[in-house]
Amino acid sequence: MCNACGNPAVPGHWTEAGAATPGDRLRARFHRAGLLDKVLRPYGLTAHDGGVVPGIQLSTLSGNQSILPDLSAVWAEAERLLGRPVDPLDPVFLNDD
Amino acid sequence: MTTDFADGRMRLTVLGGYLGSGKTTWLRHQLHVGSFGSVHVIVNEAAETGVDDVLLAAASGLTLLAGGCSCCTGRQDLIDALRGLCDQRSRLASDSQRLKRIVLETSGLADPAAIVAAIQGDPVLVNHIVVEQTIVVVDALHGLAQLQTEPLGRRQIGAADRLILSKGDAVDDANLIALRATLRALNPGALQTGAVLGVYKPLPDLALDAQSHALPVLTDEDTRGAIFPTRLTIDASIDWSTFALWLSALLHARGNDLVRVKGVLPTPAGRLLLQTVRKVVQSPEILPPQANQTEDGTIVFLGRGFRPEDLQKSLHRFAGVRCVDDARSVPLDPIRGRI
Repeated sequence: MCNACGNPAVPGHWTEAGAATPGDRLRARFHRAGLLDKVLRPYGLTAHDGGVVPGIQLSTLSGNQSILPDLSAVWAEAERLLGRPVDPLDPVFLNDD
Repeated sequence: MTTDFADGRMRLTVLGGYLGSGKTTWLRHQLHVGSFGSVHVIVNEAAETGVDDVLLAAASGLTLLAGGCSCCTGRQDLIDALRGLCDQRSRLASDSQRLKRIVLETSGLADPAAIVAAIQGDPVLVNHIVVEQTIVVVDALHGLAQLQTEPLGRRQIGAADRLILSKGDAVDDANLIALRATLRALNPGALQTGAVLGVYKPLPDLALDAQSHALPVLTDEDTRGAIFPTRLTIDASIDWSTFALWLSALLHARGNDLVRVKGVLPTPAGRLLLQTVRKVVQSPEILPPQANQTEDGTIVFLGRGFRPEDLQKSLHRFAGVRCVDDARSVPLDPIRGRI
């Protein structure tokens, strides 16, 4: 590998790349978990990331819980639980009301 | 002292390959190690926003042809750019250091054979430029899926003198050999080499009797229509976390239709270069600050199966979810301020 071309890049999941300092990272984590929770609630799922457990905790309303390392794993698990993927281009997200 | 080739013409290398196959990554490393020597690079992008030119700063000259694929709609722009180079060169004395090589990096939607035909059919260019070779980069990870569904992917393979199999580290040897055999069936004459992030990597040996994948007969382009570029402007109300959340969901649900996403986003960590190929996201790279950052925040999506206006709507809907309450949220980007 040739690091003159910028590779290998920083470790970690790509969705976590936008924050450089530990403070920013933690803030981004809380912020992301809050957003994720609001997106998933209508689907009957909740997401929580308290900064203690390393990972995002995804729960169903019946209490089934899993801890997932990153957002890609969260969407995959959500698809498994729902039987279909959470699609941002679903009409649910496109209606103006 | 003459520095030109014996016939006095420039050598042109056409670098092709499907969307996200690794053309720029490969070329960037070749420029860095100096494989082409002093070279003028022409980059063509189907979308109106260029990203690749930032990465290819090591070239001695660079022309960006954005907003039109040079094998069809942008063909005249390409011819004009090449004629401009010929013109410049002809003004210099033949014993001075003149441009000897040009590399044309095509867009991922281009058929290299059509470009070569256009250059060779031009009465001016044919006296100045020899098309030396056509290199086509093949994504070892997604190549087979592309060959099975995209007639364009097959045409690109067919046009190659040399095939470079990129991302060989993401695939095991058995799959790599099957892909090699399939490529050999499509284009037996092309030399196959491997590369990981542009650095040479030997490929597993291809036995004469290696089994290739059967490819279905394709008569026409995909029934869902051609792949088209869409530009999405990420305004200050969308921070990186929101965008990453939305994009990760989108790629999970629509990754096979969303062939390529690329662009530069401002974040607290710096200017982040984002690149995806289907469901795979390259680890984002922090780019150095640049004088001209006007294109920052514009992301290009190349794909099919969605309406262009839906992307913006969906992103804002995702972002808007948090506007309901969430007084605790802290702005992620101190420069762009609170959302």
